[in-house]
Amino acid sequence: MAIPLVPQLLRNHLSELAEQNQRIDGRGQWESREIDLQTNVLPNAEGSAMVTMGDTIVYAGVKFQIMTPYPDRPNQGGLMCSAEVRPVAGRNWEAGPPSPESIELGRVVDRGIRESGCIDVDDLCIIPGEKAWQVILDLFAVSDDGNLFDAFALAGIAALRTAVVPEVKFEVSDTDRPLPVSKTPIMCSYHKVGGRYVYDADGREELGGDERIHITLGDNDNVHSLQKGLKGIFTASEFAEIMEHAKSRCGELRDLVHGSE
Amino acid sequence: MGGYGDVQMIDENGIRADGRKAGDLRPIEIETGVIPVADGSARVIWGNNHAVAAIYGPMEAHPRKIQRQDRAVLDVRYNMAPFSTSDRIRPGFNRRSREISKVTAEALESVVLVEMYPRSKIRVEIEILAAEAGTRCVGITAASVALAHAGIPMTDMVVSVASGKINDVVVCDLNKEEDNYGEADLPMGILPNSGELVFLQMDGDLTQEEFQEAWDYNMEAAHDIHRIMVDALKGGES
Repeated sequence: MAIPLVPQLLRNHLSELAEQNQRIDGRGQWESREIDLQTNVLPNAEGSAMVTMGDTIVYAGVKFQIMTPYPDRPNQGGLMCSAEVRPVAGRNWEAGPPSPESIELGRVVDRGIRESGCIDVDDLCIIPGEKAWQVILDLFAVSDDGNLFDAFALAGIAALRTAVVPEVKFEVSDTDRPLPVSKTPIMCSYHKVGGRYVYDADGREELGGDERIHITLGDNDNVHSLQKGLKGIFTASEFAEIMEHAKSRCGELRDLVHGSE
Repeated sequence: MGGYGDVQMIDENGIRADGRKAGDLRPIEIETGVIPVADGSARVIWGNNHAVAAIYGPMEAHPRKIQRQDRAVLDVRYNMAPFSTSDRIRPGFNRRSREISKVTAEALESVVLVEMYPRSKIRVEIEILAAEAGTRCVGITAASVALAHAGIPMTDMVVSVASGKINDVVVCDLNKEEDNYGEADLPMGILPNSGELVFLQMDGDLTQEEFQEAWDYNMEAAHDIHRIMVDALKGGES
């Protein structure tokens, strides 16, 4: 991704707003943009979702392949998660091999889903040591106005939870079956803007902000993935504050995912 | 063209497997402004094809070697999302998407008033989110609407549509099965106001008469599609 010059004016403006407890688009510190989640939006994916958060729009699509299980785990299938931010999503995203930013996006979302244990990899085995399902979750941004992490994570889990294993197409059995997904891990992301953390930063806040923190919580508020990104310093009390917010917000988003199924 | 003559795709009454008559298009829906961060954008849902197009620019042309002193260049990328087809597509450019990007750029450069923006580039990003035959036509059509939505001056919008032959019958706008098992495919890029062409490809086997019939189907369909494109730019029904 091409890094635009960060205008000092924008940084100053964001600092002044933060001092008055305001944000650039008028939201409160912990307020999210309007969120819309739709599932089964793409006819050729085995599971799909589209998430709109303000002007950020992403898709997630699930495909399946047959893989040979790894020799040390002959009874297990696999999950692969990859994120692509193509130049369609904004003027600063460039064509070419995956950028470090999009690789980080994919890997952080992947860890949250994988470590929650929501997908039973033993259930993906077809013939031990020979054939197993590989679940491929592709995250695809079409419009980037900030916080792709949360949009990808939300679209990703919603797409997985509505995915259907294509057993007929791959001649594994004579009926397709829903992919069992037992949990609903949810990510919440915070960005240091004007010297304080805000939830769900938009594009301007990301441009004029500092470090960010991503938290993925499972059904019982168990912590499944954390990531601190970009240059910056944060304190234990700052972290405690955003963790408190994440605990309540993840519950709301989990209800949104379950409501879309 | 697969050319498997034993797949029956059109019955004795001239009704195709999806219920269409020979000259019928699949349903087409077009919406503009679907990518809020872009300078112009459009989504085209055409049968089971879903395509989005975004326009960025005119902006400084870089790398500088692509700059032209007297005109803008169109930097067009056609790409299929990994989940857009039955079998997953590995991300990244391939020969097919490069060729389609190239012919799409050449079609659009024929209508955009490129000489108004010397040394600049206009980025045209076409993403196929779901594919069901005819994605290059859907992509060119989406890009035309997005260019107009971005306010880029053009002499006309390019309308792209394909006709072909199934079970020895010439039909308009092939669907997936017809494309896979049909005998010919003729995609065209048409300027509906003048009847001129800026894009033409063909593969398969057509007699001179069949070729003319397919050509005429495309010309006729272009007017219907053009009406949908204009309605979308006007912001809905007109």
